[in-house]
Amino acid sequence: MTRREIAEHIVKITARELNMNAAEIKETDNFAMELGADSLKSIELVAAFEEEFGVSVIEEEALKVQSVGGAIDFFDKLLNKH
Amino acid sequence: MRTYELQNVSQPNLLENIFPYSLPPLIKFEGKIQETIDGKTVEFDPNEVKTRDIHITDTTFRDGQQARPPYKKEHMVKLYEMMSRLGGPNGVIRQSEFFLYTKNDRETIDACRSLNLRFPEITGWIRANKGDFRLVKEMGLKETGMLTSSSDYHIFHKQNQTRQQAMDQYVEVAEAALEAGIRPRCHLEDITRADLPGFVFPFVQRLERLTENQPAHMKVKIRLCDTMGFGLSYPNVAEPRSIPKLIWRLRNECGISSDRLEWHGHNDFHKVHINGASAWIYGLNALNGTLFGFGERCGNPPLEGAIVEYIALKGSLSGINLSVVTEMVQYYEKVIGTHLPTNYPFVGKDFNTTRAGIHAGGLRKFEQIYNIFDTTALLNRPPRVSITDKSGTDGIALWVNEYLGLKGDERLSITKVAKIQRWVMDQYEKEGRMSSITDEELEEQVKTNLPDYYEKHRRN
Repeated sequence: MTRREIAEHIVKITARELNMNAAEIKETDNFAMELGADSLKSIELVAAFEEEFGVSVIEEEALKVQSVGGAIDFFDKLLNKH
Repeated sequence: MRTYELQNVSQPNLLENIFPYSLPPLIKFEGKIQETIDGKTVEFDPNEVKTRDIHITDTTFRDGQQARPPYKKEHMVKLYEMMSRLGGPNGVIRQSEFFLYTKNDRETIDACRSLNLRFPEITGWIRANKGDFRLVKEMGLKETGMLTSSSDYHIFHKQNQTRQQAMDQYVEVAEAALEAGIRPRCHLEDITRADLPGFVFPFVQRLERLTENQPAHMKVKIRLCDTMGFGLSYPNVAEPRSIPKLIWRLRNECGISSDRLEWHGHNDFHKVHINGASAWIYGLNALNGTLFGFGERCGNPPLEGAIVEYIALKGSLSGINLSVVTEMVQYYEKVIGTHLPTNYPFVGKDFNTTRAGIHAGGLRKFEQIYNIFDTTALLNRPPRVSITDKSGTDGIALWVNEYLGLKGDERLSITKVAKIQRWVMDQYEKEGRMSSITDEELEEQVKTNLPDYYEKHRRN
């Protein structure tokens, strides 16, 4: 899966979980500050990403990710073993 | 002023010499305790408690029963049997005293004796009159406690006697006990409100003379009854409330050795446990208590608290089977129908339950952060979380992992339980719930949201 495809999935899931329009979501957006994700919603996002990509992540590492771009990089690295 | 420099260590210092986790936290002393008596300094060596034969005596079926509905015979026999297992083969719970007045009392003693348990030894309790003493003889007991009230509150206002009349009566019954080959244990009621030099010490010295030529197993025992909970363990507190001074004078001025002194406390001022433990440290051997502290008014020293204190002072289990405490509270709840406060130490439903999410997070990462000792191994009570809107996803993960019995790498992360946490939060935020989430509700959530795990770990 390319980084672009991963980005599409991340944005789609983020929009669904946060009840937003995908077109409004930018890679620079911070999940908490710009998109309004509280601590539980952040965990739910990670859970949804895991489900989408069919992987399990180390929760401490995943929850350190702050932005949409960071999440794309995180799963790009995980899925493509950079 | 001494300057302390930060030691930025690479490994945590968990102070395991004091907090071994496999045992309750240990109590270590670093020097002698000083007390001023008659203007002179006397010393107590608290480390003596490590080698002295301190032990627990029980009054669950006497004082403990005065403050609650009577136990049935089968209750007492079962509790006595459990008490024996709790105290273990070394007799940490050494004796248990019983009433002798009713047919049911006597049949209960017979049933307990038929179990042929070495510990606790069964002793009696009587008022100081010869009529009651006949009951002790008939039951064939080797030792009996007898009520010998020692304050003028009791002697003058309850018994309508002079001090001389009271003392003569008490001594007469003690003499009768000795003549029958029964060891007298004089319960000096209300001693912490008594005129010590004017009555208590002369009485004890007279009792001591009475048995000075008796063999060791027949010498009089003295129970110090802090009837109203007035006793104080603080250093240099005034008599008659001072526990250190009382014990020191009885040992050093009245000649009563540690093995013949016993503390019986009451909890009217929230001091019952620490007073009992202090009495051990200041030089007497027997601490009298009741299961879960049941007793007149505010209760007696909780026996299970004394057991934990014993382990902490001795630094080992000494044959104690602490998990029996958990069996006992289950028996009280399921069979006797008595429920303890949920936050009651060591046995209450929530004694090792955390509610705050931040605590649950700590507990999930490293159990020892928020658990007092290895309650799973010692009490058969794993630490738990109670789920509310404050428990956080960490709390849910902890609860689910305990429920499914998952260990080590098998344990589910918080992302796996996020859906359950969302359901919990919706209960409070959308449904306006005010109560905790029950275990049954959480089980349903596990079935719904983690069906594979439920099938694998709980189905059967």
